[in-house]
Amino acid sequence: MENDAVNVSRGSLAHPDIKTMAEVNVDVLKPLSKPGKGWWMLLGLCVLGIALLFWSWGIQMVQGIGVTGLTSPVGWGVYITTFVFWVGIAHSGTLISAVLFLFRAPWRQSIYRVAEAMTVFAVMTAGLFPLIHVGRVWHAYWLIPYPNSRFLWPNFRSPLVWDVFAVTTYFTVSAVFFYLGTIPDLAAARDAARGFRKKFYSVICLGWRGTDREWHHLSKAYIFLAALATPLVLSVHSVVSWDFAVGIVPGWHATIFAPYFVAGAIFSGVAMVITLSVLVRKAFGLEAYLTIKHYDAMAKLCLVTSMIVLYAYLSEFFMAWYSGEEVERAAFWQRLFGGYWWATWIMLVCNGFVPIMLWFKRVRHSIAALFTISIFVNIGMWFERYVIIVTSLHHEYEPFAWGMYRPSTVEMGIMVGSFGWFGFWFLLFTRLLPPVAIAELKEVLPRPMKPVADSSFVGTGSPPGGVSNG
Amino acid sequence: MNDGLKRRDFLKVVGASGAGAGVLGCSTEKVENLMPYVTPPEEITPGVATWYSTVCGECEAGCGMWVRTQEGRVVKVEGNPNDPVSKGALCSKGHSSLQGLYNPDRFKGPMIREGGQLKPISWVEAEEVLAGHLERADNYYLITGSTGPSLTGLVDSFAGDTGGKILNYNPLDHGPLREASRIVFGRDVVPWYDLGSAKCIISFGADFLDGWLSPLRDSRGFSKMSAVGEGGFKGRFVFAAPRLSLTGQNADEWLPIAPGTEALVALAMANVISGGTAEAGPYQEIVDAHSPEDVAAKAGVSAESIRRAANHLVEDGPSLVLGPGIEGQHRNSTAVNVAVAILNFVAGNVGKTVDYSSPQFGASSRSSSYESMQDAIGDMRTGEVPLVLVHAANPAYALPSTSGFKEAFGQVSFKVSFASAMDETAAMADLILPDRHFLESWGDSSWRSGRFSIQQPAMQPVPHFDSKQVGDVLLSVAENMGVGSGNQSFYEWLRLQWQSKAATEGVSDFEHFWREGLRTGVIDTESESESSSSEALRETDRALVFDSPEFDGEGDLHLMVYPSARFGDGSMNANRPWLQELADPVSKIAWHSWVEMHPDRAESLGVQNGDVLTLSTDYGALEVPAWIYPGIRQDVIALAMGGGHTEAGRFANGNGVNPMDLIPAEVEALSGGLVHFITKVAVTPTDDRYQLASIAGSDVQSNRPITPVVSLEEWTRGTTEHSDEGGHGPLKELQGIGGFVPIETEGLPENFPLDGSKHGEYGKEDEPRWAMAIDLDKCTGCSACVTACQSENNVPWVGESQVAMGRDMGWIRMERYYEAVDATQAGPVDIRFLPMLCQHCNNAPCEPVCPVFATYHTPDGLNAQIYNRCVGTRYCANNCPYKVRVFNWYTFTDEEPVREGLGHIPEPLNWQLNPDVTVRENGVMEKCSFCVHRIRNAQNRAALEDGVLAETDVVTACQQTCAAEAIVFGNIKDPNSKISRISKDQRSYRVLNEITNTQPAVSYLKKVTFHEVVSEGH
Repeated sequence: MENDAVNVSRGSLAHPDIKTMAEVNVDVLKPLSKPGKGWWMLLGLCVLGIALLFWSWGIQMVQGIGVTGLTSPVGWGVYITTFVFWVGIAHSGTLISAVLFLFRAPWRQSIYRVAEAMTVFAVMTAGLFPLIHVGRVWHAYWLIPYPNSRFLWPNFRSPLVWDVFAVTTYFTVSAVFFYLGTIPDLAAARDAARGFRKKFYSVICLGWRGTDREWHHLSKAYIFLAALATPLVLSVHSVVSWDFAVGIVPGWHATIFAPYFVAGAIFSGVAMVITLSVLVRKAFGLEAYLTIKHYDAMAKLCLVTSMIVLYAYLSEFFMAWYSGEEVERAAFWQRLFGGYWWATWIMLVCNGFVPIMLWFKRVRHSIAALFTISIFVNIGMWFERYVIIVTSLHHEYEPFAWGMYRPSTVEMGIMVGSFGWFGFWFLLFTRLLPPVAIAELKEVLPRPMKPVADSSFVGTGSPPGGVSNG
Repeated sequence: MNDGLKRRDFLKVVGASGAGAGVLGCSTEKVENLMPYVTPPEEITPGVATWYSTVCGECEAGCGMWVRTQEGRVVKVEGNPNDPVSKGALCSKGHSSLQGLYNPDRFKGPMIREGGQLKPISWVEAEEVLAGHLERADNYYLITGSTGPSLTGLVDSFAGDTGGKILNYNPLDHGPLREASRIVFGRDVVPWYDLGSAKCIISFGADFLDGWLSPLRDSRGFSKMSAVGEGGFKGRFVFAAPRLSLTGQNADEWLPIAPGTEALVALAMANVISGGTAEAGPYQEIVDAHSPEDVAAKAGVSAESIRRAANHLVEDGPSLVLGPGIEGQHRNSTAVNVAVAILNFVAGNVGKTVDYSSPQFGASSRSSSYESMQDAIGDMRTGEVPLVLVHAANPAYALPSTSGFKEAFGQVSFKVSFASAMDETAAMADLILPDRHFLESWGDSSWRSGRFSIQQPAMQPVPHFDSKQVGDVLLSVAENMGVGSGNQSFYEWLRLQWQSKAATEGVSDFEHFWREGLRTGVIDTESESESSSSEALRETDRALVFDSPEFDGEGDLHLMVYPSARFGDGSMNANRPWLQELADPVSKIAWHSWVEMHPDRAESLGVQNGDVLTLSTDYGALEVPAWIYPGIRQDVIALAMGGGHTEAGRFANGNGVNPMDLIPAEVEALSGGLVHFITKVAVTPTDDRYQLASIAGSDVQSNRPITPVVSLEEWTRGTTEHSDEGGHGPLKELQGIGGFVPIETEGLPENFPLDGSKHGEYGKEDEPRWAMAIDLDKCTGCSACVTACQSENNVPWVGESQVAMGRDMGWIRMERYYEAVDATQAGPVDIRFLPMLCQHCNNAPCEPVCPVFATYHTPDGLNAQIYNRCVGTRYCANNCPYKVRVFNWYTFTDEEPVREGLGHIPEPLNWQLNPDVTVRENGVMEKCSFCVHRIRNAQNRAALEDGVLAETDVVTACQQTCAAEAIVFGNIKDPNSKISRISKDQRSYRVLNEITNTQPAVSYLKKVTFHEVVSEGH
């Protein structure tokens, strides 16, 4: 039965291919079953990645940070690049799930679960890197203000300590927010499950019954957490950007960093959401739920943030030249034409020029094109952080101290392994948690109407199993 | 350390008995528990150092040393402030003697070769074997390096009694110089040079800062004459040679003369001064025949430049002319030195700045000519020589391979070596009787005629090695053979020599004389030295050829083989990681060899830095990576000695190439010395590349005011703006609009506390504020401060691969920037040295960014690094604009390296570690601490004694070792201190301050140049 457009709730995107509410449960809960061979193979790959990560890290812990390619003057390299990369990716999930919730955006409902999951796992991955890059990880807990017999505090003027707070806060809030929002869907999963799975979901849905009171409390809590998470989207990556902006390194010491990084974070995060959701959509047949319109919206977000990022690049180059300051000019000249010119041009092309294609509707409506562009964007964003860190450090004030940095196999192993770590958790998510927010989606689907007494229609009645609870 | 003795007398009197240095309990077992002595030895207080005077044995300069020992082991060597040669300074080689003492590859005891393998034997047996061979041999050779007067006397008498022929072998022999002195003034001596009194110096290649004759004496003298003095006078230094060594890089003007034309140019200069007169005596005709116009074409420099230089010699008198060093020692070297002597004479320098009557080396120091070595080789080759003894020499390495020494030596029936560690010659020996290191030995040394120092052991011999002083061995063997003189030990022999010497001096109380000699380290005897100003030039009794000599081989590329600024000849000191890792002062390359080549020549051959080249002469071929250097003529390439060891120990073997394999073993006709600058060379690029371990990121300042200079004219006019104004007017305007304005201050006492920066301002009113000033007009770039700091602060060495990556760990590094270097014509040289260390910025960018407060500002103005607290995030290093923070990428201090090739400290090298300073593990950041342990020690001592901390009490290691006295350190809040006076100097500036507002506590005094500077950095 076709639901008339007139009954579609205001401010929602049409899901013309979703016929009934019951369908939603069935389709979305389908992946929560015994996984096929493909999933196991992917998981195996991710486990290999994790093994590579911890094996490389182990070598580094035993022998010393010297196994990397880091040196003087480039004291930070692939690790901090990858750290900022993963933290940046995380922001987009919170943007979609929290910020767009507050703004009542019409298209977030089906996508935000995948996005928020990506956030939580990205922050978990990012959180590894401060531990990895530190010289004496067995003392890393000194960055946390814990009560100690010497009354020592960490240095609150240091951006690295701000990072500790920002990232832990972000992880805590995101995880709680994610969990909370998933509870009604976990209850739906419990209802549809049998045996051990049923027990599992019963436990983690905290005995949700779908009563009025519960809904009332949940929505209040949800709004509260969304409001709490929203400023984090801006603040966390601003704080991370201040790791650089607070330093006096030419190429780091610029006021544009906070908005530049936040825009970049959204940019790379949305691209990663596109990448992941395209895969999930294909694998689990969720085309009806993640429609072209969703991707169109995300592509537009991508385009806007890409333009902000391109503007930031251009303004950095311009200001370096305009300042007339020799050291600053030289640092930016080196970016374009020095030893790392290839990294800079990858960054400019992937982040500034490739997304120009998103102006075209045809591109925005092509899933394959979006998938490709999103991969390019993420490559470009990884290189953006690499360029910022490495090119600035290698060509600073004192010419005698200039040097080159080449990442070693240990560093690349840890970087690649981090994708394995991320992928591992994400794969678990795809099989254990509903990939689409069932409850919220149903809120924007047109309500099932009572069938009109008309012989030309075949009544569908209510969906089997009674009115759904969510 | 220039103001005389330390205020507090650290020296304890060393008893005349051998137990004076005695501390028992230095076992070789790893001590796990700290246990106090039940009955402590009297002189030792744990934690308090005991100091001994001795004399350095690393080269012939004979600089006096103070040796610091703690709990009975030597931990540091420094210059002896009483010593007239070193005056408290010490060079890198001197500091590295610690690694010679604790060299892990020293012989563990006497060894005998059986069945091709060396096997340990006891001393008794070994001496018996030696005695047996001596008895059976009717004649034998004793090849020895330079030894002090007493040991020389013993060796002479021993050889005389046992039928031995002595060959004094010194790879860096000054034969041509001595022969020239003999020809011209009738004295076969190395004259004494007084650079400090000269107002103008011309060097024809003498590398007096790199290691020629007496580097500390000459560094000090050069600094004195060349730095602008109170009276505004700056001495001029002209370098006339085909290649700029470190010494050349300090010149004001470079005459890049063609190879072998030194004599012509010197005569031309003499012509300018005395042409047409009779001043040149018997040489007047020759002088008249060589006008600057006559020689200009051959020499490759303009006549006008020669004339100008010659005029300086007489306008700024007294002046000094120095002859070529080893690298310029060609077939007519003696003639060159004669020409130089003539030039000195007509310029009126003889008796003023060059003194033949009280020459450098004492009468007992002598060197056999290479000619006699050649005869000996011929003799050995016949197979008739039954026995050769080798002591303090490594001819199998240091002689050219074409000399045939190795083959000849192999024919000797029985070969004995007294080497203390394996070297190429000892590797061929049949019997090894390991000598002690000079820090464990008795002896004496004469650095000038009539001037002596006693060498005393500063500790019991290092227990890992069963060594015996060669003097003791000879005496014992002589006893064995029945030709002994009744002395049981060399110590007694030494005292006997001194007793008789003291008697001739009219000393009544010998014991007092002896103890004073040991305590002060200096013994001066009356020596009649007539002033040589009444000298006259004598006519030559040999045929002199002043023209440039023939060079072997074809083509136009000449091969220069020069003594390394780090190793000298490198025959016996290459197994020292400090020296291997010390960046060569000219090339900034560590560990490996390189060949220097002019950029134009490199371009024509298509060669870039690091390309491996094959060098081939008629005598040998080598593969060595290229290093492009503008300071060398296009038709010359240069290779340093000291590389290419095969048997010298774990740190030396396999590093680089030995250039002696490329030159023939030819005797210089007049002096009998070995000719070094003798052949042309063919260069063929190979396809290989080599990653040279260079510490230099860039050689040019790139428009940044890192080392601005001021011209003499401008400085005299007093028009330079003081310090930090720089050339950044437009920047200041923008900053004014933009909001951030750097704090305008000069770091003077009255500026404290600085606005906007209250770092470390929580000290008491009378808390000192430490600051440092480095005078770049005095700094010569010799890098002694680098090794001194490494020795003092337990700075690890990291190994070649790490240095190539940029991970070298010097707390202070010697930066070098080119501004003007032109090898095609005579002109000014502008090469700037900058010792860069932690600037202890008042507004330190490293402090706010450390997450755990591992770095903070102390109340007395130091930027402190707390190793225990450092987690290793490395943000501080990123934020340091000077890049003076170094990170421990691995643990470099274990006995085994973490991975192959990495720095480590095998036993007993760890005995050298300074117990006042920690040893850092991996993951920790470190940097210069202004020798905070010395500051605290001085403060503690002052608090215990009289509560007054005098300026001379606190001396940093780098300051102390600098012979040029370039570094000044002290309390800037004290208006009477030298540092506060110097910081107000017109030339004072601070690096990068106007761009970064770091407000460093280290200020630099601009170098003063003769020429106007046109570069941007100014």
